[in-house]
Amino acid sequence: MKQPADGKKIQTRGLNRRDFLKRVGYASAVALGTCGLGLALYDPKGPAPAEGQKALTGLGDFSRRAMAVGQAKIAIIRGTDRAVMVERGVKALGGMEAFIGKGDRVLIKVNAAFATPASLGATTHPETLAAVAGLCFKAGAAQVLVTDNPINNPDSCFEITGLAAAARAAGARVIAPRPALFVPVSLPGGKLLQNWPVMAGAFTGVNKVMVVSPVKDHQRAGASMTLKNFYGFLGGRRNVFHQDINGIITELSQLLKPTLCVLDGTVSMMTNGPTGGSLSDLKDTGTMVVSTDPVAADAVGLELLGRTLADVPYILMAEHAGAGIADYRRLNPVLLNTSA
Amino acid sequence: MARRKAKVGAAQKLTGYGILAVLGLIAVGLFIQQSRFNPAVIVAMRAPELTGRPQAVAGPAQAATAALIPEVEGFAPLAPTQSYGPETLSDKIDGKAELYLSAGFKEMSCRSFGLGDPGGAHVEVLLYDMGSAPNAFAVFSGQRRPGSPGSSLTPNAYATANALFFTQGQYYVEIVADRASAALHRSLEAYAKALLAKLPAAGETQDAAALFPEEGLVRETVRLCPTDTFCLEGLNNVFTGEYSLKGGKATAFIAVRDTLEQAQAEAKRYLDFLAANGYQKVQAPGSPGDLPVLVLDNSFEIVFVEGRTLAGVHDATSLAAALELAAQLRNALKGKP
Repeated sequence: MKQPADGKKIQTRGLNRRDFLKRVGYASAVALGTCGLGLALYDPKGPAPAEGQKALTGLGDFSRRAMAVGQAKIAIIRGTDRAVMVERGVKALGGMEAFIGKGDRVLIKVNAAFATPASLGATTHPETLAAVAGLCFKAGAAQVLVTDNPINNPDSCFEITGLAAAARAAGARVIAPRPALFVPVSLPGGKLLQNWPVMAGAFTGVNKVMVVSPVKDHQRAGASMTLKNFYGFLGGRRNVFHQDINGIITELSQLLKPTLCVLDGTVSMMTNGPTGGSLSDLKDTGTMVVSTDPVAADAVGLELLGRTLADVPYILMAEHAGAGIADYRRLNPVLLNTSA
Repeated sequence: MARRKAKVGAAQKLTGYGILAVLGLIAVGLFIQQSRFNPAVIVAMRAPELTGRPQAVAGPAQAATAALIPEVEGFAPLAPTQSYGPETLSDKIDGKAELYLSAGFKEMSCRSFGLGDPGGAHVEVLLYDMGSAPNAFAVFSGQRRPGSPGSSLTPNAYATANALFFTQGQYYVEIVADRASAALHRSLEAYAKALLAKLPAAGETQDAAALFPEEGLVRETVRLCPTDTFCLEGLNNVFTGEYSLKGGKATAFIAVRDTLEQAQAEAKRYLDFLAANGYQKVQAPGSPGDLPVLVLDNSFEIVFVEGRTLAGVHDATSLAAALELAAQLRNALKGKP
């Protein structure tokens, strides 16, 4: 038995029933108090939007803020091994660490538009996705998310294209579209994007955005590459925009400034795009483009398709809108050959 | 009265403080997260009425074409049949939908199959009802892969290394595998035959190539352009065929109209369109019937009317090729209504 300083007798022994009940009572009171406080603070309406705000005005600027003087902005890599080409291209632009910091949450926008196997070239190749996601994690990304809105049965699209498996293998998570992810967006000065549902919810907590796209012919747009890939953020009956495909892609170029674009022209769909279907629609064009500038990347892709800027008007339109530089040679691209 | 104090060991205390610390960290995390509230969610909570309609969902397979897609031994269905109408076609084939819609598309059903063992080939069958045989030929010919060999499946059929494409009456069919092999090709052909057995008989199929003079014609290039031929709005239902001639390359075109006046009016409209786009008349002694020849940047055009048929030569690479093809074409059309 111990004698306390105040002279009171304190009996020390193991926890008895009374003490236990008292402690349970105290703990319950604290828990209930915390819940009550939470309920009192709970605001079912959420924070008020900015005055006059009815819709988002864009998806954000995720471009790299400070680039070292003389740092290359675009690399064009020849070869056949997608992983090697991506790695070499990113390295030429300063390495993935120049774009991704520790703890970053990265969203990768792929083209998963069709539920067709990767061999048909209608979607982002899973090897390219795996390479990009792997480099992001290696650079310290805390989370890598992969998304697209293919409209028709997204689960099938991600599974059959092999993109879901590639994401899983790399440790990334696929975000399939669901109604809660779509919010209205009105692009300031936009003619087409007004109160249109856009998959902004996929950007929650994201601070870096990669766009990984294939090079394809496109019946309506002339070509489907990086900028056309932004189309996959749109919800609703977006086919109405096919009537002004150049206009909508130009507006989409204003919606988002990605951190990095990877345009995979290892195999390009030369004809019958965007669906293709025959292996004879494809051609080995042996080129990967890694670029901070989506317009410049698409200008390179256009050459792989044997087309000019006059054939695909939205590229120059996007340049005039300030989304990038169509004359990619002005950016002094780093030219690499991984086959050598 | 003696106050009893429960004995609390150092390990228990440490555990307790640890739990409190974790709870504190969670609380701090929640506060930080709340301070970065996603603006998208704010907007979503006050979403105005959207201009765009809700997400489209592939319709249930109630379309007539769904019943025409057979189940064939060895082809294991991977998913139920899906069907699309004019409103939803782009949900399946995106930007290519316009090609079908402009050609009179009615509905399409498709189904995926696995062939052989798990990990075997993935095969997708797409059956389009185009409403009429010419419409089906329009989408068939508009996508024909150059250099692909014809197939004996139907009069309008060809094969590529991994796929079969053909028409039967008003139906256009694509059977596409994700890889190529001789054995797989035989399986695709077997499936195509089973499908053809379920399609209504086509009757006599028009050989579009027979419309054109044979000499120099590259048969696989014969196409039916349903709308806006040569970028001229409203110039519809025009057959075209590419020629390789002694004098160079050229495209012949033929469009049968209901009346002579209609054909003449369209000929004039096309000539005006060419002139408005900078084409100039050139002297062409020896042109058949002294037809006017127009040129722009070494691309030659000849337009004429024979009976109710609007015809001509488009994008000839030389004057000689343009004149040669125009003469052939005129002879072939002479005497036809």
